[in-house]
Amino acid sequence: MPKLALFLILIHFLPFLCTSFSPENPSSRRVLVLLDDLALKSSHSVYFKSLQSRGFELDFKLADDPKIGLQRYGQYLYDGLILFCPTTERFGGSIDLAAILDFVDSGHDLIIAADNNASDLIREIATECGVDFDEDPAAMVIDHTSYAVSETEGDHTLIASDDFIKSNVLLGSEKIEAPVLFQGIGHSLSPANSLVLKVLSASPSAYSANPKSKLSSPPSLTGSAISLVSILQARNNARILISGSLVMFSNRFFRSGVQKAGTPTKHEKSGNEQFLTELSKWVFHERGHLKAVNIQHHKDGEADEPSMYRINDDLVYSVEIYEWSGRSWEPYVADDVQVQFYMMSPYVLKNLSTDKKGRYFTAFKVPDVYGVFQFKVEYQRLGYTSLSLSKQIPVRPYRHNEYERFIPAAYPYYGAAFSMMAGFFIFTAVHLYNK
Amino acid sequence: MAKSTSKDAQALFHSLRSAYASTPTNLKIIDLYVGFAVFTALIQVVYMAVVGSFPFNSFLSGLLSCIGTAVLAVCLRIQVNKENKEFKDLAPERAFADFVLCNLVLHLVIMNFLG
Repeated sequence: MPKLALFLILIHFLPFLCTSFSPENPSSRRVLVLLDDLALKSSHSVYFKSLQSRGFELDFKLADDPKIGLQRYGQYLYDGLILFCPTTERFGGSIDLAAILDFVDSGHDLIIAADNNASDLIREIATECGVDFDEDPAAMVIDHTSYAVSETEGDHTLIASDDFIKSNVLLGSEKIEAPVLFQGIGHSLSPANSLVLKVLSASPSAYSANPKSKLSSPPSLTGSAISLVSILQARNNARILISGSLVMFSNRFFRSGVQKAGTPTKHEKSGNEQFLTELSKWVFHERGHLKAVNIQHHKDGEADEPSMYRINDDLVYSVEIYEWSGRSWEPYVADDVQVQFYMMSPYVLKNLSTDKKGRYFTAFKVPDVYGVFQFKVEYQRLGYTSLSLSKQIPVRPYRHNEYERFIPAAYPYYGAAFSMMAGFFIFTAVHLYNK
Repeated sequence: MAKSTSKDAQALFHSLRSAYASTPTNLKIIDLYVGFAVFTALIQVVYMAVVGSFPFNSFLSGLLSCIGTAVLAVCLRIQVNKENKEFKDLAPERAFADFVLCNLVLHLVIMNFLG
């Protein structure tokens, strides 16, 4: 008996002993960091430390290390990839463009930091993600009105930008007060890609050109069409962050003060640390990752799920939606989740009410149409993983014996039918005896 | 002119009535039966127009029961009429048996549809 108790206790603790990745746990735990130069490890240590303190195992490798690989025996060794190697022309080991795209296609996350002089390889990866860097390798984003005031640099390539995307799920609920320092290459979003989004865009007065040469022809990228930092959430919920500047992740930019030209306020600390840390939480699924469980529907007043509904039944539909907070599944609270009762087109479209503990529910009447319906929840919101639930359910018409009987309004018709029968008997008798 | 028209109509009705008086009694009974069925059908149509068509299946079966009865009775009348040469080979007993069978089927269907 004590053995059994011990066994039960051990079984109970088994989930805590397992540290491997599981689909139930969307947090990426092992991250491969590819660097041009191992010196980046110390010059960008604040960013890496913030990741490590949140429980990520960072594996630092040189980008041309011949032993690196993303997978072994068909299993991915990492859950995330950080490319801090803008000048690498080709990766070592088995990593190439196709390997990185496969990595993303299988649902893993990616952070790319480019720079001016970014290699063709990095540009190709970015192009595959719907982002086109300025083709001129020497081009940088220049802004003569919203540059960061600095004593040493006078070419206005050090930009202080505060044109953030307005989304709490991407940038956290805390407002970013200080502008973000940026120095590097600008990019534009491919119009063919509808999934990629500008998170930090340049001001309307910015343009992309080589700061060292005279501007002879109009620059190809100008104004707020220039994106400084972009994100993409693929349809398989893999998340990608693309930045045109590697130096914006550095300790120097994290710690430096910032004063935007033309404004009197001087911030002690730039917004880089808050901006990039919050964004990395999003990229590594610590925020905005939803799951739906426990989809239930039943007739009003009953508890069991029927295999089929009848037309005009009253039913109750409920689903539980949780958001991953990095450690645990927290109830997701929103007022815009809708359910459709769908057969080729939605016959019923209803907002779900929530009990603020993750459960969403509603009640409605099955339409007066029979056929094979679906309960559908299509929930796609900026920054959140998309929920696409559907559950099929047939709806049948009334059975022959389910129609209402002896309706008072129908008594004259009953009377007519029976009087015709009585008339038939009387007529038969009269007709036969009249011979 | 109008007077002469009404006189003509009176003369027409009169001749019709005198001709009908010579119709055999069994055919007169059938006519009475048909009149009863048509009258019941009319009552139901008026009732439906007043009350509304809600138990529509009941209305249909009530009405069709009357119409069916009338049609079957008319068929019987054609077949048992001695002056009708078309059915002179058909025995009136056989015609009546057909009438009974058709009525049974009709009322079975009506009862199923009445609701």
